[in-house]
Amino acid sequence: MKKNHCLTINNLTMTFGGIKAVDDLSFQIYENEIYGLIGPNGAGKTTVFNCITQFYKPNAGQVIFNNKSDQSIDLVTYQTHEIIQEGLVRTFQNIELINELSLLDNLLVGAHVHYETGIFFQGLRLKKARDEEIKMKKKAEKILEFLELFERKDELVAGQPYGVLKKVELGRTLMSDPKLIILDEPAAGLNETETTQLAGLLRDIRLEYDCTILLVEHDMRLVMDVCDRICAISFGRKLGEGTPRAIQKNKRVQEAYLGTEV
Amino acid sequence: MEHIKKIFNTKPYNYYIFFGILLSLAPTAQQLGLLNSSTIIVLGTVIFYSVVGVGLNVLLGYSGLISLGTAGFMGLGSYMAAYLTVDMNLPYFLSVIISVSIPLAVGLVIGLISLRIQGYYLAIATLGVSEILKQVFIEMDTLTGGFSGKSAFYPKIFGLLELNRQFTFIGMSIVLVLILIFSHNFINARTGRAFLTMRGSESAAKAMGINLLKYKLTAFGIATAYAALGGVLYIHFIRFAYPSGWSVTLSLQILAVIVIGGMRKMNGPVIGAFIVFGVPELILKQIPIISGIDGLAYIFTGVLIIVVILFYPDGVIDLLNPIKDYIEKYKENKNEEKSLLDNQ
Amino acid sequence: MSIFLQLLFSSLETGSVYALATLGIIIIFRTSRMTNFAQGSLGMMNAFVATFALINLNVNVFVAAFIGMISAFITGVVVDLVIMRHAKRVSPVSKQIITFGLIMLFLGIAPMLFGTSPLSFPRFISEGSISISGASVTYNGIFNISVGLFIMIALFVFLKKTKWGLAVRVTASNEETAQLMGVPTKLVTMGAWAVAAALGTLAALMLAPAITVNVSMMDNVQINALIACVLGGFQTFYGPVLGAYIIGLSKNLLIYYVSSTWGNALLYILILVFIVFRPNGLIGKNYIKKV
Repeated sequence: MKKNHCLTINNLTMTFGGIKAVDDLSFQIYENEIYGLIGPNGAGKTTVFNCITQFYKPNAGQVIFNNKSDQSIDLVTYQTHEIIQEGLVRTFQNIELINELSLLDNLLVGAHVHYETGIFFQGLRLKKARDEEIKMKKKAEKILEFLELFERKDELVAGQPYGVLKKVELGRTLMSDPKLIILDEPAAGLNETETTQLAGLLRDIRLEYDCTILLVEHDMRLVMDVCDRICAISFGRKLGEGTPRAIQKNKRVQEAYLGTEV
Repeated sequence: MEHIKKIFNTKPYNYYIFFGILLSLAPTAQQLGLLNSSTIIVLGTVIFYSVVGVGLNVLLGYSGLISLGTAGFMGLGSYMAAYLTVDMNLPYFLSVIISVSIPLAVGLVIGLISLRIQGYYLAIATLGVSEILKQVFIEMDTLTGGFSGKSAFYPKIFGLLELNRQFTFIGMSIVLVLILIFSHNFINARTGRAFLTMRGSESAAKAMGINLLKYKLTAFGIATAYAALGGVLYIHFIRFAYPSGWSVTLSLQILAVIVIGGMRKMNGPVIGAFIVFGVPELILKQIPIISGIDGLAYIFTGVLIIVVILFYPDGVIDLLNPIKDYIEKYKENKNEEKSLLDNQ
Repeated sequence: MSIFLQLLFSSLETGSVYALATLGIIIIFRTSRMTNFAQGSLGMMNAFVATFALINLNVNVFVAAFIGMISAFITGVVVDLVIMRHAKRVSPVSKQIITFGLIMLFLGIAPMLFGTSPLSFPRFISEGSISISGASVTYNGIFNISVGLFIMIALFVFLKKTKWGLAVRVTASNEETAQLMGVPTKLVTMGAWAVAAALGTLAALMLAPAITVNVSMMDNVQINALIACVLGGFQTFYGPVLGAYIIGLSKNLLIYYVSSTWGNALLYILILVFIVFRPNGLIGKNYIKKV
């Protein structure tokens, strides 16, 4: 079966004051995959992440993305806030949710780009604005149901348990009907049970929302469990790309994580 | 009681309309001799400072952007309205539109600057803008009357109906209620959420497709437009203005209005305006001994700002929390008793 | 040429006043991590105390100034102990707002204690001037400039060479680490407030002969001091001080050579344009936020 490409990274390079944080990195993600980007601490994963999502502009290379209109575009030419409209959405390692808003409202922020009405329509509560809001609220409630958080929908994000926050951030990404969801260390701070639940949730999301998922992670359990294919990097350079088993057997990956034998 | 509460909760702006109606009864109360005319004037100032406060609340409370130039923009609106209605004899509503639009344009320029500079730098930059405006007010005396001040009259609606103080007061109340409803609406919609996201996390905002340029401009635009509108209301009610009045001290008082009243609450500015501009005149000055203290109003405001920031960050309403908790407990007990009785 | 020299000397004097106030602001900023908008008000308040002492205690000008500085130390300590201590967990914006509250407070206390009429405070050296290349400088002017420079240099030496100076710099760099290293950060912040208040008072007293002691005497200085910090960048101690002298000079030059009414406003506009292009100031350093 022919697989469509979703995201292709070509020769990505990012330099910070003379140090190459990402060095000529290339890998490819296919549609509907759950793909993992792994590496030990300091490998440059976060830099790659930020280069893809255009929080940094890479010094060289391309980030070719197959957007919602099925066109191949180079994300490097886009501004940070333009990315989500093309169908690529991210989460944050530090969970950037808004404490003063409810769970439902936080999800509605995820649909920001889908609204058409402006401040005057909203201020005067014209029909178009009211209808849009109702539509979006229904969508958000549906996602919260899927995440088993419906009862909490009107509670404020402030003070919620960590696991709930992680789910809410995931829910927020789903609001934009994304083609590709990129998760920034989603297993950070979770225990073993929670990580297994997360794996199940990711598979459910892939199925239910028909999207592709990229995990940038350094927790091996999650990655080995849920990813179809993995790219391993160290010191900004690619060590190998392939199925979890292939990566596990990869000598260079083992060296990077465990060190060489004397 | 429950029934009344329901009306306010399902359509929250019934609350604003009710408040507006109550406010509009003040002039009648004066006619009946229940209030004196100075009270009406003080309440009038509370109204237009509330309008300015709502704007600053959108900027600082919801969007997290600081501006110390509020007084300058209020002054700009005042002087324009005075010049357009008195010197150029323009109809009232046209003058209002122009007097709000031009400061709005200046405010958008500030918004552009706010993209490059943040935090304390922005505060200081807006301070500089306010000083520049004050100099403009002093120097351009053909428009502003310079040090001798500028005067205007009660509004003349549609060139025919000339209002008096009472009707101007009612007109201002209507404007306040409309501003509250309009703002409440967009704050509880996509725009408000975008503001809060921008304030809480610029990274999250960018990732969710919120165009920071657009929303910073919008926030500054609203703040300056409301400040200018407040200035227009001011000049047609108080009917004279001096350049020295548009000082940084006034900008700070308006800031106090939203801090004390509660940021990120729609009714905060109204409560705050009453506390900062109403209480010193209406209550403190009536109390013997302390009423003679010069600078009492400033001490009162200053202490409140500090106390609120340190202990009641959600605004002075939290001072009522012990009372609220007591009422909640009382209701709970009553409900428990009732269900016990029902079960028997 | 002599006019330029004249302007230069008066700029040095103006610059000294600004520099003292600016130093106060940057000391508090770097140790308590907040912008003290009330620097001018603190100075104003204690200038009143000094003037009061002068009038009622029949002391000479230097003793009165000394009393004002002692009062300033006390005021600074009280502000830190009573208010700032409790503000540790408050956001930076809110800390700023607290200083606005302080401004209001002093704006009210000053007339309450000292009345509403402006008072006069004399020069430190009442008469005499000398001529340098055609420019005339008063002895008082030389005194002010020298005192300003002396204090500046003394403080910099203190910061660089002494143990307490090191404590200040460490607290300025990272308060938590400083505490872990055993640095008495509470004393440092308290001292910072005391010294800043004293510096502000000195600035006010130097200014007083020209504009009288009144509630708005330091308004102009406050704004210029803040702008000096913006110009010089908040990351160093010397940057803002440099900025203060630059502002003093530019202001006088603009007012004389360009326009006496718009000179001030023009200066602000120029600086506004400047910070749009260099948001971190003349000497500022940029920090990239990690996401």
